[in-house]
Amino acid sequence: MTLELPVDLLFGLNLDLNLDLTKVMTANAIVLPVVLPLLAAFLMQPLAQVSRTLARLLGPLVLALGAWIILNAWLDVGPAPFSVAIGGFAAPLGIVFYADQLALLFALAVQVFTLLFWPGLGAAAKADAAADRQRAPRRDALALLLASAATGLALSGDLFNIFIFYELAAVASFGLVCADGSGRARIATLRYLFVSAFGSVLALVGIAILYLQTGTLNLAQLAQVAPETLQGPIGLAAFALLLIGFGVKAELFPLNAWVPEVYATAPARVSALLAGLVSKLAILVIVRLLILVFQQPEASQLLLVLGVLGVLTGEFSAWRAQDFPRLLAFSSIGQLGLVAIAFSIDGTTGILAGTAVALHHLIIKSALFGLANRWSGGLDALTGAAKGAPRAAGLFVLFALSLVGVPPLWGFWIKLLIMVGLVQGGSPLDLLALGAILLATAVEAHYLFRVALRLYQPPVQDQASRLAPPARWDTGVAYLLGACLVVISVAITPATEALRVLAQQTGDVLLYIDTVFPQPLAYKE
Amino acid sequence: MATSPTTVVDQLLAGLHLPDGFDAVAGVIRESLAHVTNSAIWTRYGQQSLEWLIGMNPVDRLFMLSALTLLLMLLLGRLRSAGVLAVLLYGAQFAALLSTDTLFGAPVAAEVRITVADQSLHWSYDALSWFFAMITIGAAFVTAWYAAGSWMRRYREAGQSARAFHVALALNCFGMLLLVGSADLLSLFLGWELVSWASFLLMALVGGPGAQAALKYLAYAISGAMLLLGGIALIYSIGGSFEYGAVVAAIRGMTDVQVWTLLLLLGGGFAVKLGLLPFHLWQAAAYAEAPGAGSVFLGAISARMGLFGIIVFIVGMIGVSRLMTLEIPYTFMSSRELIAWIAALTIIVPTYTALQQHDARYLLAWHGIGQGGYMLLGLMVGDAVGSAGGLLHCFNYAITQAALLMAVFAVVHRTGTADLNQLGGLVTRMPLTFLVLLFGIISLAGLPPMAGFVSKWMVYRSLITEGMPLLFVAAVVGTLGTILSVYKLIHNIFLGQLRVEHQGVAEAPLSMLIPMLGLSALIFLAGFIPGPALSWVAQVQGQLGLPVVPWVLGGIVDPRGGLDMIWLVGILMAGFGVGALVFYGFGGRSRRVHQLDNYAGGHFLTADVHYQYSDNFYAGLMHLIGPWYRGAFRWLERSLAATLDLVSFGAEGLYRVAQPTLLMLAAAVAMLAWVF
Amino acid sequence: MIPLTLETVSYAGAVGLVVIGGLGLVICNHLFRMLLALVMAESGANLLLVLTGFRGGAIAPIIGYGPAGAPMVDPLPQVLVLTAIVIGVGVQALAVAVLVRVYRTYGILDMRELRRRMEGEIAVAAGIAAPGSAQVPLGQRPLPPVPDYELVRRSAPVRERGA
Repeated sequence: MTLELPVDLLFGLNLDLNLDLTKVMTANAIVLPVVLPLLAAFLMQPLAQVSRTLARLLGPLVLALGAWIILNAWLDVGPAPFSVAIGGFAAPLGIVFYADQLALLFALAVQVFTLLFWPGLGAAAKADAAADRQRAPRRDALALLLASAATGLALSGDLFNIFIFYELAAVASFGLVCADGSGRARIATLRYLFVSAFGSVLALVGIAILYLQTGTLNLAQLAQVAPETLQGPIGLAAFALLLIGFGVKAELFPLNAWVPEVYATAPARVSALLAGLVSKLAILVIVRLLILVFQQPEASQLLLVLGVLGVLTGEFSAWRAQDFPRLLAFSSIGQLGLVAIAFSIDGTTGILAGTAVALHHLIIKSALFGLANRWSGGLDALTGAAKGAPRAAGLFVLFALSLVGVPPLWGFWIKLLIMVGLVQGGSPLDLLALGAILLATAVEAHYLFRVALRLYQPPVQDQASRLAPPARWDTGVAYLLGACLVVISVAITPATEALRVLAQQTGDVLLYIDTVFPQPLAYKE
Repeated sequence: MATSPTTVVDQLLAGLHLPDGFDAVAGVIRESLAHVTNSAIWTRYGQQSLEWLIGMNPVDRLFMLSALTLLLMLLLGRLRSAGVLAVLLYGAQFAALLSTDTLFGAPVAAEVRITVADQSLHWSYDALSWFFAMITIGAAFVTAWYAAGSWMRRYREAGQSARAFHVALALNCFGMLLLVGSADLLSLFLGWELVSWASFLLMALVGGPGAQAALKYLAYAISGAMLLLGGIALIYSIGGSFEYGAVVAAIRGMTDVQVWTLLLLLGGGFAVKLGLLPFHLWQAAAYAEAPGAGSVFLGAISARMGLFGIIVFIVGMIGVSRLMTLEIPYTFMSSRELIAWIAALTIIVPTYTALQQHDARYLLAWHGIGQGGYMLLGLMVGDAVGSAGGLLHCFNYAITQAALLMAVFAVVHRTGTADLNQLGGLVTRMPLTFLVLLFGIISLAGLPPMAGFVSKWMVYRSLITEGMPLLFVAAVVGTLGTILSVYKLIHNIFLGQLRVEHQGVAEAPLSMLIPMLGLSALIFLAGFIPGPALSWVAQVQGQLGLPVVPWVLGGIVDPRGGLDMIWLVGILMAGFGVGALVFYGFGGRSRRVHQLDNYAGGHFLTADVHYQYSDNFYAGLMHLIGPWYRGAFRWLERSLAATLDLVSFGAEGLYRVAQPTLLMLAAAVAMLAWVF
Repeated sequence: MIPLTLETVSYAGAVGLVVIGGLGLVICNHLFRMLLALVMAESGANLLLVLTGFRGGAIAPIIGYGPAGAPMVDPLPQVLVLTAIVIGVGVQALAVAVLVRVYRTYGILDMRELRRRMEGEIAVAAGIAAPGSAQVPLGQRPLPPVPDYELVRRSAPVRERGA
């Protein structure tokens, strides 16, 4: 069947012609999870003038639709990756979306998690109804913008396009952080903005160097030409600058001074999205660059060093944290250091371990920030909270156990994967990283269970009334994510195998090039 | 093959190796079972499920029963009858363990195999596993019985969750069974962590000071577990596999430096759990503050998991002979002597710390640390009698400590305090508990005719015959401390003046008394006839490749000096008999008087006058030895905490810079400088 | 030795702008100056990006402009830099908006002071002592209590008055 159809004109096609029509349609529809939230974000304000209810419903509906489209694409097209040329302009000139299992997984995670932590859902929205009515549409628009940009980060196959989505995500997150209008949140936003914007400047310099060296910013084409043009210090310098730029959102060590301030001042659900989702997508971008473009071992080492420093400083700082959000923020820095260490391991093992630890942290830290919605005070105030909210406290213990890596939970298998990978790497730096992980784990267990024990202490008289249990919606979400964790822990063997297939696909550079350029295409000036 | 309960019972009885006299009892059991098996319901359902159960691998059956116990406690733990159910289930686990028969047969591997990320986990039971599993399930059994009745009622009334307690105990038991059956490094670590966290749960149940102690325990335990994981990583990096076979080969091929590193990592990990110096500070408070019955279980077996690790790795895989070749540079010591001296110091320091305690629970818990030293010392001597003594002491000490803690918690149950300065004279009110404590302290101090004597004697003897007189002296000094402190224990609780508020105290309830008395009988029997326990130990030695102890029913035979407890106890009893004859036969001019029918310094006494003080026991001795060690290890602990604090302060400072861009710029400059 | 051409001077200038901007961000404490430094750094990056497509003596990349076959400058960086400028301006506008709101709330624009207030507010909201305060014992380690100077002075009034 030939494919001369309007849809071809709309989105452009760059697929094998023996695919049948529905597959092509679903493949092209992968653009929609980026486009629709963007569109909805701009429609939000006018729509709110017409009907407030409709505006409230718009965001969740769009996200659910996006999730459905991505799932559909995944199930229909099958395990092989596919690429979509936007606007029908073929790859080196036009912008492509590249959808392999990793990209689809994270795109799906963006939709689902933004939906779960939607600012307007559950009791949290009703708290301050009058002030909320003004802000709700703006805040929802920003959340949609964040979802759109984050999906784009997962799917895009063009470096400059990725940069734009990254900036879009940054702007949306600035807005979301100070959405509740408190002065301290605004100061934190400003500080965050300066760091982030200067990081973007450095990333832009890195992109300029890349373009100067190779003459292209398409990732597939960069992968083709990188072995000749990007060896040596110039290529590494470009990577270092890009690492600093994207590392801001990925909470890598020296670039993350904003993290504790922002998470301590932002609404808990925004923190959940930033710590859970956005950081993972930034890491994803770095990993794509590492796999496709910068294959030098030095580049991995750079990531490893930053990861080790992140793990150590994050966990040690969390040990001293006095309030729950900042404890989670520092712990999240440590966990992202672990993600960086995992991804710096060579080959499929590294990608497998990195993806696993990223997903693990995505599930756990988002849920914990959800619980922090009502537990945002100092740690002392949490004394006896288990009396009022036994389920939330139980979930906290479950998540803490998995974070520490207690067998047979998922966290243990992930730490084992990382450990085996580092030992097989065997260089002194790898062993140092292993030691750092072990040390940090001991510290992590101590501070997490200090909190857990506090939750189960008998409550102090006047505090019991002050501390409200977490909202039903947040507890429900935590339940759902906890159930995910338990299911994965039980079905650990198939889950690891599925991730291994995903990791092999992600690590296959030739597959990426072949998918974006279906027929061998010689690059010419 | 026709299976019926009758044949199962036959197998079980055959597995027990009972003397002939029990045939009559077995006959009664068989007949009553025959009535059941003839009923219609049995032939319909019971037969099938029994056949399924019999068809399983015995180790699988054991694991399944243990997991079932955990599940049932999770579901039904809230019920009042859960305690009785738990006792029955632990009994069934014990029966399942006996039916594995791995002690005298070949090792049995479980059929459960899990493969994750190219790594496979599996379990197998051999004589060593059997030995430790037997102690574990036995401890769980008596603990559950002790907790089943009056104790649990009181526990509930205090607002505690019975389910949490039952689950914690079942989880401890299950984890321990997985640990002792581990057949590769991964399953070992899995079991290790499971037991560590289950113990944490048991300690933290009641909150208050227990929770503080549990947190301290956690800091130590998780650090130890991470050391262990580091050691496992080291082995994996050399052998490329987690299988024990590959591990042994890897260790054989290691250089001395690597073995030293391994010894520090693994040994450190195990030492934390065993409470060896200088990692012993967590144990006493954590065990003593656990809820009473839980404390019994923890004291009897939990600390021994460290010893299990040492036996498997350091004794079994590295081997004592390899340890002897590892010299410490610039000294005359080998690593074996180093470990032996650590063990000796672990005997002395905690024992004399126990002497200072004013709380009966703490006193016993501090002793538990010291007794671990004897076990390790025996194993480090490495000859037939010494290692047998070390292993036997695990069993003997488990029953002793369980009985002692049960007696103390029975007193707490009745009087509400374990403070040695608030008790006294209870022998008239709780005579049976007194008897249990008496048996226990004789055994703990290592005096005949109780079980503790046999194992301690074996350790002493091997220290002398193998030419380690200084270590022998150290061990004896430790025993001296034990004798002094257990005297303080029994005196301050049961002897002396009965306090006014304890006039109405009754004997411990029957549900607590039965396991206590049972254990006391066992303590005496294991001292009187150490043969059966020695036969288990001999099998373990054979399994580990150690020289096997020449045992007989009454003890050991050896040209350099054997031991026959049957004779010894016989003579002792004859001596007592003669004494009694002399005392009662020739007049017996004694008269029972009331405790207050007395006077001192010309004054008649009344009940509210304290004429007998027990505060600050051994003040002179403490004055003499106190300055030598007091606070040295606490200082170490505190300085470690302060270091951690300082490092954390520095790390946090990095996140509190005035200008976050500064760090970014610095990072950019550093990276570019590194690149070019 | 790098030849001193228009290109090298422009590249050096672009990188120099980024460096100056970065240093300005670090050194300045006034929020508006920091914003200006950021603008400068962004201009530098944009300049660098557009320079990557520059070729000496080439014409503008417009079809029908100039002689056919004449070398053109690379059009792609020009497109990219337009996007980058738009994004940069957007971020700066957002920064100005937040900055104005902050100024209305606090009446100052000094970064250090604002940060101090932010930390104080976080601490008050969470019901904890502000970080770095001398009142807080580090971790679990009990420090000797800070002497109450009012009390100390009152307890020794004789010497003060007598002196």
